[in-house]
Amino acid sequence: MAAVEALRRRSVPLLLLAAASLICLAVSVSTGSVAISVGELWAVISGGGEPLHRTLILELRLPRSLAAFATGGLLAVAGALMQVLLRNPLADPYVLGLSGGAAVAALLCMLAGMPPAVVSIAAFAGALGSAVLVFGLAHGRGSWTTTRLLLTGVVVSSGWGAVITFMLAVGPTEQLPGMLYWLMGDLAYARSPWPALIILALTSLILLPLGRSLNVLSRGPMQAAALGVAVRPLEWSIYGSASLLTASAVTTAGSIGFVGLVVPHMLRLVLGNDQRLILPAAALTGGALLVLADTLARTIIAPEQLPAGVITALLGVPTFLYLLYRSR
Amino acid sequence: MVALYRFLLLILFTLPAQAERCVVDDINHTVCLPKPAERIIALSPGATELLYAAGAGSKVIAAVTFSDFPEAAKALPRIGSYNRFDMEAIVAAQPDLIIAWKEGNPREQVAQLRDLGLPIYHGDQRDFQDIASTIKRLGILAGTEQEANAEANRFLKGIDHFRQKYEDTTPVRAFYQVWVNPLMTANKSHFIGHALTLCGGDNIFAELPRLTPRIGVEAVLAADPEVIIAGGMAEDDPGWLDAWRPYNNLTAVQRGNLFFVPPSTLQRPSPRLLDGIELLCRNLETARGRR
Repeated sequence: MAAVEALRRRSVPLLLLAAASLICLAVSVSTGSVAISVGELWAVISGGGEPLHRTLILELRLPRSLAAFATGGLLAVAGALMQVLLRNPLADPYVLGLSGGAAVAALLCMLAGMPPAVVSIAAFAGALGSAVLVFGLAHGRGSWTTTRLLLTGVVVSSGWGAVITFMLAVGPTEQLPGMLYWLMGDLAYARSPWPALIILALTSLILLPLGRSLNVLSRGPMQAAALGVAVRPLEWSIYGSASLLTASAVTTAGSIGFVGLVVPHMLRLVLGNDQRLILPAAALTGGALLVLADTLARTIIAPEQLPAGVITALLGVPTFLYLLYRSR
Repeated sequence: MVALYRFLLLILFTLPAQAERCVVDDINHTVCLPKPAERIIALSPGATELLYAAGAGSKVIAAVTFSDFPEAAKALPRIGSYNRFDMEAIVAAQPDLIIAWKEGNPREQVAQLRDLGLPIYHGDQRDFQDIASTIKRLGILAGTEQEANAEANRFLKGIDHFRQKYEDTTPVRAFYQVWVNPLMTANKSHFIGHALTLCGGDNIFAELPRLTPRIGVEAVLAADPEVIIAGGMAEDDPGWLDAWRPYNNLTAVQRGNLFFVPPSTLQRPSPRLLDGIELLCRNLETARGRR
């Protein structure tokens, strides 16, 4: 009876968030600098419609909205995992140097004049490479504490930051705008949403059964061990999956900030700290937030386009501050 | 018989107009159009200028921000800026030709436009010949060959005129200041570098590897140019030259060879370069006279 009650308590917010996500996607697909009526939208979805509208919706808006959803979801889940792993409220997906590693690899490829597909692959490899580097350095000769991991990550991030600044300083002027826009993070460059969506769905499924162990771990490794959780393997798998999630997000849209840090906190303030609820909720909320932000980014001052990261922060900061203020 | 004659005449006059027109663009892609382009979108201010120069101004239906020359270009609908453009607005405008800028436009977005089946010409002008040949090629695509060829030839003739005039003059050691904070100049591959060479200038930073290198004040003092030419942001002199006046041991300062040349005519690949080059050459000639 109690289990059924608990399940219902978890599924109601998730259903609401799923509905909200669908609405955000619908708004995103129906909004743009070209006005398309609901009837015309329906015609396109059901396989008809004008060729121009089909191109706008199926080739431009839908892939971009789905990519935004996947990226936002990946970042929010990765942030929630990092916060559990490091037991530090300031942890975000990039705290262990993943975005820096991705950026260095991607910018190097841009400097070498590689095609966009190679830049994406390099970003993915750079992010995972940085994760392995930080993990190896923090692991050292066996002593492995979260403080050590966090500190290693922060220092490696600073190192990447310096390399990025160096590359921007010596890079050819005509390539600077491209490099800067990659660093800002933008969904205009996302071509195919499917790899990111598939990784988001797979990791969410894999993480679901781990929810209870994650709950215990967030109280501290000692308590978790005492309650029968195999702490070290769990920590490693959190680290691995968070890295994979972040690497896919960075590969899709560059380093978009804020979503990974704040969405999990927002959800904890509203829903409480149950990872079985927080993780799927983070996937939905992060996705919806980025879809909304990207829709605004490409329409507010159209035809001029803004980077989505600007809007994510502008929308998220007041929402978060309000929730924090109310929660006292 | 008359009917047949008419028919032949018809074929004779319609065939050339209907024939497919093809050019090779600056990334070696062949761009073919079934008929002259009528709805062109220019993705850089430079491309807009070149289209007007090619006589195709009336066929440009949209441009990016800062497309401010010629005057008529200011009234064109905008589809964003050269490094962030509105894909929907471009697709919805249904262009039959897009002029992209190889170095400046985001490659992913240009590739996406091409995947959507839009004909794209990639432009990348590095020297005076490139400007002339671009004007001619745009003329072919827009069906305005006559005007385009005339303008391209006028431009090349103008360049030739400067070359002949200053070829045998003694070189003047010159420093061109592109920006103030950070201090930036242009190397020999930049249009400013080409212009300096054309006017008999000896660019003290010609050999630096980057197109617009960042340099230190010390490097300028060490090279001791005979003339310092400063650009700026727009048409007005921003007063960058005043900062050089306290350096009394600079030859350029001693001889009073500090000149302002508005950058708009020296930085865009367009026939307007002739105006900028003329002013630049005159300043170098003045410096030559003060030896």
